[in-house]
Amino acid sequence: MDEPWKTPEPMDEFERELRQSMLRRPAPPSLTRRVLDARSRRRTERLHLRMVWLQRLAASVVLAGALGGGLAWRHFDEQKKGEAAREQVMTALRITTRTLNDLNARLAERNKADGE
Amino acid sequence: MARDWQPDFERLLEEHQSMVFSLAKRMTGDRGLAEEIAQDVFLELDRHLSRIESPEHALFWLRRVTMSRSADALRRRKVRGVDLWVEIEEQHGAPAEDRMSPLGARVEALLATLPEPQRAALVLRYQEDLTPEEIAKTLESPLATVKSNLQRGLKLLRAKAESHLKEFVRNGRTVENA
Repeated sequence: MDEPWKTPEPMDEFERELRQSMLRRPAPPSLTRRVLDARSRRRTERLHLRMVWLQRLAASVVLAGALGGGLAWRHFDEQKKGEAAREQVMTALRITTRTLNDLNARLAERNKADGE
Repeated sequence: MARDWQPDFERLLEEHQSMVFSLAKRMTGDRGLAEEIAQDVFLELDRHLSRIESPEHALFWLRRVTMSRSADALRRRKVRGVDLWVEIEEQHGAPAEDRMSPLGARVEALLATLPEPQRAALVLRYQEDLTPEEIAKTLESPLATVKSNLQRGLKLLRAKAESHLKEFVRNGRTVENA
C-alpha cells in the first residue's frame, strides 16, 4: 500500500508545493483584539449575571424572611387571641360555677327550712 | 498534583492563532468563517483553561477543537462551490501577508473541493506535519480510516491538479519556474 506520509523517496514537486502552500498563514491582525474584547465582554456579562443571581438570592432571602416573620406574627397573634378567648371562657365558667353553687346553697337552705 | 506550567491565555492566543486560523481557513475555504471559528475556539479555550495541563496539551486541544468546530460549521452551512479563478481574484483583495503564490492559491482552492474527511487528514498532515497516529487522535477516527483518507485525498488532489494545473504537474515544473 502506498503510504505518502512516510515519503521514502524525496517528495515530488506536487507534494513539495502542497506542503509549501500549506504553511501556516498569519491570522488577521484584528483577531487578537477581537478575541480579547469578546473574552472581556463575556466576563463582564458573566459578572453581571452573577450579580443578578446574587440580587435575586438576596431578594428571595428578604422575601422568605418577611413571609416567615408574617407567619410567625400571625401564629403568635392567633395564640394570643386563643389565650384571651380561653381566659374569657374560664371566667364565664367560674362565674357560672359560683352562681350554681350559690343557687345550690340557697336550695339546700330552703329544703332544710321546709323540713323543719 | 501541583503543576509547574500554568496556562497563560494571551500567550496561547499569540502563539497559536496562526495555526488555528489556518486550519479553519483550509477546512472551510472561507476567511470570514475561519475568523469566527478561531474566535470561538479561543473563547472555548478560555472556558477550559483550568483543564489544560501542558503546552502540548494546549496544542492538541486547539487542533482537535478547531477541526471539530470547522466540521460543525461545514455541516451547518452548505459551502459554496469553489471557483479557482474567483479564489485567485479574491487573493488580490486579501491582506498582503495573506497572499501566496498563484500556484499555492490554486492548490489550496483544489484542496477545498475534496471531501471533508480527506481534506482534514491532508491539512493536518501537510500543514501540521502530524503522523497518521496523531491525526487519528486529533480527529478521533480509526487509524485505518485516516490512512485511507490520506491516500485517497492525495490521489484525488493530484488528479484534480493534473486536470486543472497541467502546466504545473508537467515534468514537475512549477508555474513560477516555467
